Amino acid sequence: MRSAGTLGSPALRLIGAGDEELARDLRAHGLTLSVSELRRIGERLGRDPTLLECYAFDAQWSEHCSYKSSRHYLRRLPTEGPSVMQGPQEDAGILHLGEWNGKRYGVAIAHESHNHPSQVVPFEGAATGIGGIVRDVLCMGARLIALADPLRFGPLEDAHCRYIAQGVVDGIGSYGNAIGVPNIAGDVYFHDGFRDNCLVNVVALGLLSEDEIIHSAAPPGSEGWDIVLVGKATDRSGFGGAAFSSLVLDADDAEANKGAVQVPDPFLKNVLMRASYRAFDVVRERRLTVGFKDLGAGGIMGCTAELAASGGFGASIDLDRCPTTQEGLPAAVIAVGETQERLAWVVPPDFTPVLMSIYNQEYSLPAIARGAQAVVVGTITREQDYVLRRHGEEVMRVPIDFLTGGIRYDRACELPRLAASAELASTSSAEAAGPQFSEDLARRVLAHHDVCSRRPIYERFDSVVRGTTSIPSGYADAGVVVPIPGAPLGVALSVDHNPRFAMVDPRLAAEHAVCEAIRNVVAVGAKPIGLTDCLNFGDPENPRDFGAFVACVDGIAHAARELGVPFVSGNVSFYNRSASRAAIPPSPIIACVGALADVSRSATLRFKVPGHALFAVGGFARRLGGSVVAAILQLDERELPPLDYPRIRAEMTFLLEAHASGLIAAAHDISDGGLLVTLAEMAFPTLEREPIGAEIFPAREFASFGPLQTFFAEGGGFVVEASDGASFAALATQHGLDAASVRPIGKTVAGSQATAALHLAECGSYDLAQLHEAWSAPLRGFYDELARP
Amino acid sequence: MGILVFPGTNSEDETLRACRAVGLEAQLVHWNADLREVRAFAAYVLPGGFAYEDRVRAGAIAAHDRLMTVVRERAAEGTLVLGICNGAQILLESGLAPGLDGDPRPQAGFARNAPGGRFRSTHVYVKLAVPPSRCALTAGLASDAVVPAWASHGEGRLAASPEALERMAREGHVAFVYCDATGATTPHAIPNGSALGAAAIVNREGNVLAIMPHPERDGWTFMHHDASRERARGDAAAMLAPSGGTVLFAGLAQALG
Repeated sequence: MRSAGTLGSPALRLIGAGDEELARDLRAHGLTLSVSELRRIGERLGRDPTLLECYAFDAQWSEHCSYKSSRHYLRRLPTEGPSVMQGPQEDAGILHLGEWNGKRYGVAIAHESHNHPSQVVPFEGAATGIGGIVRDVLCMGARLIALADPLRFGPLEDAHCRYIAQGVVDGIGSYGNAIGVPNIAGDVYFHDGFRDNCLVNVVALGLLSEDEIIHSAAPPGSEGWDIVLVGKATDRSGFGGAAFSSLVLDADDAEANKGAVQVPDPFLKNVLMRASYRAFDVVRERRLTVGFKDLGAGGIMGCTAELAASGGFGASIDLDRCPTTQEGLPAAVIAVGETQERLAWVVPPDFTPVLMSIYNQEYSLPAIARGAQAVVVGTITREQDYVLRRHGEEVMRVPIDFLTGGIRYDRACELPRLAASAELASTSSAEAAGPQFSEDLARRVLAHHDVCSRRPIYERFDSVVRGTTSIPSGYADAGVVVPIPGAPLGVALSVDHNPRFAMVDPRLAAEHAVCEAIRNVVAVGAKPIGLTDCLNFGDPENPRDFGAFVACVDGIAHAARELGVPFVSGNVSFYNRSASRAAIPPSPIIACVGALADVSRSATLRFKVPGHALFAVGGFARRLGGSVVAAILQLDERELPPLDYPRIRAEMTFLLEAHASGLIAAAHDISDGGLLVTLAEMAFPTLEREPIGAEIFPAREFASFGPLQTFFAEGGGFVVEASDGASFAALATQHGLDAASVRPIGKTVAGSQATAALHLAECGSYDLAQLHEAWSAPLRGFYDELARP
Repeated sequence: MGILVFPGTNSEDETLRACRAVGLEAQLVHWNADLREVRAFAAYVLPGGFAYEDRVRAGAIAAHDRLMTVVRERAAEGTLVLGICNGAQILLESGLAPGLDGDPRPQAGFARNAPGGRFRSTHVYVKLAVPPSRCALTAGLASDAVVPAWASHGEGRLAASPEALERMAREGHVAFVYCDATGATTPHAIPNGSALGAAAIVNREGNVLAIMPHPERDGWTFMHHDASRERARGDAAAMLAPSGGTVLFAGLAQALG
């Protein structure tokens, strides 16, 4: 990694220099720009670029900022619909939640990754991931209402993977808990493919009314307006973060890479958020149109250049005015370093003193952290250049559209090769070899690390701070908050993607992820209104890795179109592969937001009343590809459960109406581990007070496959406890759903701590307390032995 | 009444809502507020969070904040003070609770959770463990009242010398203990290893209450996951009504008349 100490020389000499020499120069300065990119900069500027300019382009043209390999594929995603208040052009998308007291409310959503930092320094990497996503939502003018964390780790048996998993969970908790935003959803998978490259994705939601939206752009007519930097003083941390995230990690560089990770300060962020909320109120009272954007990749330069360029302006920044924690920081570190906890406003000069007084006096930022403050650092200009000054001299002057317009690469692409269907017919070993359903197998499935209780992890996160949480983590398939005091409007949030599926068929797995994320919010009774994607893949310069990316983008686009839910925000994370091993399982992780018109119509997954009818809605599959049982039995299964979109659509529409009619007492999706796990997880929470088990009909009465597939296939779908079975079935018929879609499978039954059980007819009866122990135990010791790097 | 906000406090909004839900006139008071105005409040609530980043120990720095000089004076005059979570930690660190013999120095603390020493967020129940009249804020509660709440903290384990613990138990300073949904006090119900199973500490005079779990986080029906939620199905007004944990705030309102 580059060291800040080498930033003396003024320019990179291009003329007369050979490619090899330039490549050496680039490496020596820690730049990830390619030689051809460097020459392109020289040609456009008509001179040698200063070293500072090279660092600026290095950040802006990184894959992380420019989406240079992915942008044109992302256009394939559906991004429009009646619920879209703002699509994916800014830091966060905005979805229409509903009306209350004459106001139209929106939910801002952003979804990011912090994979590389978390692999190198897990605690700080994961914490700053939360810090960054919170600013993405904050800068839309929104108040933060929820967080979610999809996590992917290597196997816990590996000491280093364990160290990373523990550090990441602690880091997320330390930051999210301190700033006071409830963490209400998430998922965790453990897979060998994440051994050298964990995935730490973060989703944040914010609430705002339509008239409160602030755009990340210099508003029309803002020439001559002030650019006000707020937050932490710039330090040496986080120099080169954008370029770092676009590198393939090499174990030898691990120590050097640590300098590129930012330092989290949730304490300062807590106050900064509250001061910004106050500023939003004053901006609205005065009916001002302003610009606000967070500082992420590319630091002060990246943020202010994009603010100005988005409004069609240029900008001039005086680096001497930027507060720093120490004297003599190199200009490039001040300009592109990614110190955390900073944002920038574009405001009319007569408002500047008011804004500064909110941050500096009312919320006393300078007393909260050394050097923290609001300060004017530059001006919006009509001139279409981006200019940086240091000690009275220009150290950077480039055409702003050239800097922020990005570049495009058409990467070679080799689509994933799947087993041919002729091959498949003969390889369904589950049917051929006939492994049997057994109690031991049931217990092993429940104890699998992708199935077992996540409580030891989500208990580290505060899921109820703010006093708005209606369904915290662990109570249902999606978390639900009721963010507007006094209003019955609820917001549901879920995340999903299954890496085991991805290893069988990346594209179909991507489609399944969209379906399941949507299914999760439907399970609680919320109408799905929007999606985000964080596309975690390998090396875009590798045709097979890139082919998986293209196939998955097509997959999620197809599924979202079929189910009529738009994407409003997202992120691409490439280079998730280690120097020594293969790429990670292709991981397009999906988040879904649902709207509840009336939170009193929501349902959790816990069984409610003995004697209620149980139904399976969809969910049965013959194929065991990618299933937990296939992993445990090492079955050679090469086909995922198929997706029948018209049927899935009809089932979801039906369920939402059943929720609204009060017919659903409990609902839970059928996913990892299959039907047996779904039933068990609905029964487990009842063990606390009045235990309720289930009596399931003989499998042959409701399923067309053997017990193994019936109870362990992961075909999607739901188990529903109907509060009125006859009406539920009648409504299904009205929706044109036949018995293949909505099947009675049994009923809930009363039990005691000692007797509550799952009675699976010909497959025997299973003591609930024992199943619960098998499911609870595996991660109970998550922290027992603290691993060391 | 004033809800004190220190840098790092994060539960001020829901605490304010809980106070207003029971008819209290309440407002947020920032750390840099004019002390004369702070002195004028009839009661104080110290909400949850991580005041001053919990540097040194949870609540240790805030206990010496300028606002606390006012709270200390006003508490000595008999003014009601309720500290929740981080607020409770601040009250112990400032010596306002338990205040054995009226000693103003800290006599007990909330130490790191055991086992494991980590932050934990889990639903709990707490039971009134003193006669209701022992504390001004609980005077309106039934004996043995069970209140739902969320324990969301990393440092909630009551710790003190054996002598101090013995006196706190004997002299009725343990206002609430952890219990299960039926009110039974079992070791399993204690989320943090707290000595005496203590969830809340009251001072000698009964006007200062330091409670670790958050009653305001299970203070409306939509937050519950018991039969009351099922009864409110399809009834938005019932779902949004205050219930459960808000009973403690109602006690505050009642005490203030």
